[in-house]
Amino acid sequence: MKHVDEFRDPVLGEALAGEILGLVEPGRHYKFMEVCGGHTHSIYKYGIDDLLPANVELVHGPGCPVCVIPMGRVDDGIALAHQPDVIFTCFGDMLRVPGSDGTLLDAKAEGADIRMVYSPLDALRIAKANPDRPVVFFAIGFETTAPSTALTLKRAKMEGVSNFFCMCNHVTIVPPLRALLDSPDLRLDGFIGPGHVSTVVGVRPFEFIPAEYNKPIAVAGFEPLDVLHAIHMILTQINEGRCEVENQYARVVPWEGNPRALQVMSEVFELRPHFEWRGMGFISQSGLKLSEAYADMDAEIEYTVPGIRVADPKACQCGEVLKGVIKPWECKVFGSGCTPERPIGTCMVSSEGACAAYYNYGRFAREREVV
Amino acid sequence: MTRLIASAASALAPVCDGSTHCITCGDVAISMSVMRLDEERGLALCADDDGNSETVEIDLVAPVAPGDKILVHAGTAIASLPQEDAA
Repeated sequence: MKHVDEFRDPVLGEALAGEILGLVEPGRHYKFMEVCGGHTHSIYKYGIDDLLPANVELVHGPGCPVCVIPMGRVDDGIALAHQPDVIFTCFGDMLRVPGSDGTLLDAKAEGADIRMVYSPLDALRIAKANPDRPVVFFAIGFETTAPSTALTLKRAKMEGVSNFFCMCNHVTIVPPLRALLDSPDLRLDGFIGPGHVSTVVGVRPFEFIPAEYNKPIAVAGFEPLDVLHAIHMILTQINEGRCEVENQYARVVPWEGNPRALQVMSEVFELRPHFEWRGMGFISQSGLKLSEAYADMDAEIEYTVPGIRVADPKACQCGEVLKGVIKPWECKVFGSGCTPERPIGTCMVSSEGACAAYYNYGRFAREREVV
Repeated sequence: MTRLIASAASALAPVCDGSTHCITCGDVAISMSVMRLDEERGLALCADDDGNSETVEIDLVAPVAPGDKILVHAGTAIASLPQEDAA
C-alpha cells in the first residue's frame, strides 16, 4: 500500500464525516473557503462535499493563478509573443486564457512562436538552444511557483545567458485574502489554508486571519482525508471557542516555511505597488516584479507592452466566483456559453479553476436540504 | 481566414479533462524520488511513483541524496518529504 492510500481510505473518510456531523450545530450555517484551486479540485474529484452535512458550505477562493490573470496581462503577453524573433514560453494552462482579442493559442496559429513548457528551467533550455533569439518566459503563480522562476533567473545570470527574459505575473497569497476579508459581501466562518504555498511561506503569514479577523484557519494537504480533517479542525476550534492557525499538513509544511526559497525570492523579486486581479481589481502589494539586480532580464523593460486595462467580459462572473460570492453554476454562461473547450472566463480554463472543476465532475445546480 | 484557422486551433487544443491537476498551476506539487545527483549544477534526476523522470532544481532542499523523497513543483523541489511520504 502506498503511503498516499492512507489519506484516501474510504472507511476513515466515512468515520471522519460522521465526526464532522457530530460537530455541527443544527440550524447554523457554516461557510468555509478553500483558498487554493488544488483543494477545489480535490473536493470535487473525491466528492468531499457530498460527505459533509448540508449546513457546511465550501466556497472557492482566489488560489488558482491562471484564473486571477486579468485580460490586459494576457494581451501584454500576446504583444510580446508577436515581437520579431521572440520565442514566447508559458505553462500550458495559459494558452487558452482569453485576452481581449484571442488567446495565446490563437496568436500561435497566427504565426507567433509560442511554446508550452513544464517549468521555467525548460524555458531556459530553449534560450540556451537558441542563443540568437530572445526567449521570454511568461511567469505565473503564487509563492509555490515563484521560487522556481527565481532560481531559473539566477541560473541564467550565473551561466551568462543574455537572451532570456521574464514577464513576471507572480502574485502573493496574503493580500487577496485580506481583500476578501475586508469585503462586505462575503461572510466566512473559516479557511482551509493553502498547503503547498505554505511549504514556501510557512504558516506564520496566516496568523493575521484569526488575530485581526477572528476567523479560524487550518492549512491543509490535498488528499480527501486531509481536507476532511481540516474541516474537522476548524469546526473543533469554533466549538471550543478557539480561533487560531492550525497546521493539518505538518507532515510536509514546516511552520517557518522554506527560508532558502524566501531568500531567493527576495533577491530576485520585489513587490509591485499594485497588481490587477481578475474580478477583484487592483490589490496593493500583491504582485511581484523583477528586482533592480535582475532588471536586464525583465521583458517589460526590454519590450514595450500595451499595458492597457481590459474589463472582463460582461457575461463572465469569474470575479464573483473567485471571491466565493456565487457558485460556478450560478454564472449565467456556465456550461452554455462558457465550457472548458471554449472558455469565456479564466475559471473555466484551468482544471484548478472552480468552474472547470464543477464542469468536469458534473456539479450542476443542486438543492440540498438544510439539516 | 487567419481567425478561422486560429479558432480551429483553439478547438483542437488539448482539453483539460479534469482527471489531473494542471501540471504547473498554483498549489500542485508531486512527490518524487531522487535518482541521481548533479551537485555541481544543483540538479537531480528524479522519478515519480509511475516511473516518469524529470530533471529537478534541488537548491531549495539541498543537501539531498539518492533515494530521498522530495516535493516537486514546476521543476523545482520545494520541500523534503519524510522517507515514506508520497502524499
